Amino acid sequence: MSTDLIIAVIITVVGASTPILIAALGELVVERAGVLNLGVEGMMLVGAITAFVIVFVTGNHYLAILMAAAAGVATSLIFGFLTLSLSANQTATGLALTIFGTGLSALAGQGYSAKPVTLLGPLFPGLAADPFWRVLFGYSALVYFALFMVVAIWYFLKRTRAGLILRAVGENDLSAHSIGYSVIGVRYMAVMFGGAMAGIAGACFPLLLTPQWAERMTAGRGWIAVALVVFASWRPFRLLAGAYLFGLVMTMELYAKAGGGPLSAIPSELWAALPYLATVVVLVLISIRRDASTNAPACLGKPFLPSN
Amino acid sequence: MQFRLEKRREPSQAMVYATPVAAVVLTMVVGAILFSLIGYDGVGAVREIFLTPLTNSFKWQDLGVKAAPLIIIGTGLSIAYRANVWNIGAEGQYIMGGLAATWVALATYGMTGWWILPLMLVAGVLGGAAYAAIPALLKTRLNVNEILTSLMLTYASVQLIYYLVRAPWKDPMGMGFPQTRIFSEAARLPTIIPTTIVHLGVPIAIVVALVAWFVMSRSVFGYQMKVVGAAPHAARYGGFSENKTIWLALLVSGGLAGMAGMLEVAGPFQRMVPGFPTNYGFTAIIVAFLGRLNPLGVIFAGIVMAITFVGGEVAQTSIGLSNSATGVFQAMMLFFLLAGDILIRYRIRRVAPQAAGVAP
Amino acid sequence: MTITRRNILKVGAAAAALPLLGTKAFAQTEPLKVGFMLIGTVNDNGWNFGHATGAKYMKDQLGDAVAEPTVVENVPEGPDCERVLRELAQSGHKLIFAASFGYGDYVIKVAQQFPDVKFEHATGYQRSDNVATYNARFHEGRAVCGTIAGHLSKTGKAGYIGSFPIPEVVMGINAFTLAARKVNPDFTMTPVYISTWNDPAKEADTARAMIDQGIDVIAQHTDGPAALQVAEERGIVGGFGQGADMSAFAPNAQLTSIIDNWGPHYVEAAQAVIDGSWTSGDRWPGLKEGEVQIGPYGPKVTDEVKAAAEAIKQGQIDGTFNIFTGPINDHTGAERVPAGVTLTDAELLSMDWYVEGVNPPA
Repeated sequence: MSTDLIIAVIITVVGASTPILIAALGELVVERAGVLNLGVEGMMLVGAITAFVIVFVTGNHYLAILMAAAAGVATSLIFGFLTLSLSANQTATGLALTIFGTGLSALAGQGYSAKPVTLLGPLFPGLAADPFWRVLFGYSALVYFALFMVVAIWYFLKRTRAGLILRAVGENDLSAHSIGYSVIGVRYMAVMFGGAMAGIAGACFPLLLTPQWAERMTAGRGWIAVALVVFASWRPFRLLAGAYLFGLVMTMELYAKAGGGPLSAIPSELWAALPYLATVVVLVLISIRRDASTNAPACLGKPFLPSN
Repeated sequence: MQFRLEKRREPSQAMVYATPVAAVVLTMVVGAILFSLIGYDGVGAVREIFLTPLTNSFKWQDLGVKAAPLIIIGTGLSIAYRANVWNIGAEGQYIMGGLAATWVALATYGMTGWWILPLMLVAGVLGGAAYAAIPALLKTRLNVNEILTSLMLTYASVQLIYYLVRAPWKDPMGMGFPQTRIFSEAARLPTIIPTTIVHLGVPIAIVVALVAWFVMSRSVFGYQMKVVGAAPHAARYGGFSENKTIWLALLVSGGLAGMAGMLEVAGPFQRMVPGFPTNYGFTAIIVAFLGRLNPLGVIFAGIVMAITFVGGEVAQTSIGLSNSATGVFQAMMLFFLLAGDILIRYRIRRVAPQAAGVAP
Repeated sequence: MTITRRNILKVGAAAAALPLLGTKAFAQTEPLKVGFMLIGTVNDNGWNFGHATGAKYMKDQLGDAVAEPTVVENVPEGPDCERVLRELAQSGHKLIFAASFGYGDYVIKVAQQFPDVKFEHATGYQRSDNVATYNARFHEGRAVCGTIAGHLSKTGKAGYIGSFPIPEVVMGINAFTLAARKVNPDFTMTPVYISTWNDPAKEADTARAMIDQGIDVIAQHTDGPAALQVAEERGIVGGFGQGADMSAFAPNAQLTSIIDNWGPHYVEAAQAVIDGSWTSGDRWPGLKEGEVQIGPYGPKVTDEVKAAAEAIKQGQIDGTFNIFTGPINDHTGAERVPAGVTLTDAELLSMDWYVEGVNPPA
């Protein structure tokens, strides 16, 4: 493998990983607050169509990203209201949210599929043209945003008071409540943040990967993001590594087949199943280690029901 | 004017039955208004999606065939959820049941005999139960969250279908298309009403739900599931094993999902194709909730969901409503239903504006 | 085209054994209702879009003789499609087009229950008294594309993005490669199957993986412009529109496109039902009948290459050139078709081997 090819592979892997990284980062914060939102795929699709329409109408990519985030927040509020204010079952509500987002985005996108837009260009056009340095500096702002958010979320969870409260709410909602924190309020913020990130992750499809709108164009990557959060055992830096690993798995299959060689003999179905199987294995491994700090947030998926 | 929620002393039985009905009615009203506002024929859409499948007798057979797998899987899930075991991988267990039954059908290809279908049914149930045993084992041994494992395994099982029908099980006469051969006559589910498509799976679904209702409401098993689900600590004092309950919940729900997979592949499909996973397993989660985790309610809920699917296609052919609109209607119905849950445990009180509201 | 259509009609009428009186009586009282059942959304810019466009064309051509066509989208291959077929038949549609391979079993089944309704199944092979099959000779268009690729490719390496290795796709790969190697004997072709019809991001990544490994012409059998857009962005030699003209997405990179033009067939079938002359059979027209069309050439296609492409196209229209006439070797180099022998339609429809120059996928 030549250096050029390695660089090219890295660039493709980074592109393929970015949407699942962004969506998973949002879901990580949601889950750390003790909420399981399985509507990621639906929120991503709403973000994708919003970003497409905005960029098609205005040509402004950054506005498109912003509006995709806003659309994600709006969609996530349906989930938030039902599960937090009305204590509805999170699993069922999340699934309903995915059905909703899939249908809504398809309805809204009618008439936009034959329309071309342009990708968001590299943040540093000069360095992006350099055959070597493009591997570090050749990406669009969405890629750097994802990396920045990894650090920001790590810092938030680990070093800030607000992060501590959020984790407390996810680990033991009743105690957090009894010392005076608003469990529901914190979870609303987390769910909305998750919605914004899923919306931006959806925006990556027309703005970063393939400049068009197609119904269901996220093609299940919202579920990979859900898997990734678990795979990373709810840790931001492991999430980063996991996202690039999943991206590598998804992309290597294509490079192997297009270039020939021994890897191309592996059935594509195995490649496709790998992220999910690996996630189950990781779940097992972290459970065997019984390391409390790597386990799932204790309140994950359970409604907050103060017994007063 | 402000409202506040006030906890009821006991869950309201009236609301258990009233809220699903209210959810359906609200969906029809709000859906008609919303879709009219955005420029569709809202009233027509509601009529075609919710009413035509009921009023047109040609559609009844479709409702039965579409509802049957939803009822069977939904029944299993309602039992598991009662026990507080969150199996959301029914789609994967349905797939594994279908694959196990397909394996029997292909192994007995060309043979005849009454025993082939029962053998396929056993294989289907075992296939589904075996796949559900993985989350059960991980949950009971290692305390791994069953929501996550069962979901991940679903996505892996979809790939297994793709692989099997593309390579080892591919129909030798199928012009290279990724699908198995059509099962022989003995491996196909008989139609029970001549000139219709109603197959044996439809009465089986009703029987399964009735048996489950009886078991859940009249037997120790049902009592154990409900007690462990509602009050695990109390259950432990009462001598009920939580692990045993988890195993039972997953094996029963997985086995029933596998049974539905067998009935689908032997009935409507009659061969394994990549399009076999049609989200019955996920839709059945919704059915279980719509049916209030009660097997009798699941029958009703399965039929309601079937109406929206069948009606969605009617609306496409008759008034040109796009397929995605049906999804929006279904999601809306679920949102209303889930929102209504709160009324079982709480009542709404009107309070003076200056009083501190509890609601968000 | 009109003359061709009439010819086919005449053949059809001659073969008609049954006087379809019921259909005639129906046609006299009210316009013919025609239904279309599609696997995906009509907004896909490719396969389904092509059929929906054909439906519109049929309505425009036949006017009041037909009702507004009913198009049902996103119908999965399986029991759901059986329900839709019956729904269409019960609601008075007398001619129903089912436009995906996996509908076959169900079309046959439902057709037995509705003997007075005519069904046409695209890309299928099962027929009965009231079930016909139809398809288009897309591989003729592929031969034109391959000719252009053979002339323009600098690396002599092409890629082909397909969903599943079905004969239709294999035929396309082989026709493309054979044509390109007539121009450049060292030309090679790498097919990549991505096991999905609808994942544009994966198509785009496949195109990137190909370009990064020296491929400079990309053909595709998946719908949608994703691969072409990558070709445009990377500035490689180019690619080809699939199903429709996609130059809006890739004004420089689209060398030409293969356009599915189902309209004339739909007009002809509907007219035959109205006249009572419809009969079952297999219809597999191509460039000659205009069912497969070559779109406008892109700016990179020089006059000389254009002339070569036109010659291949014209040869197939005249019947003087057939891309599947021997000698043809398979990918191991062994002779598969002797000189002067042409593969039959049946052989094409079950094609599961690759010609010389193709790197066979695992």
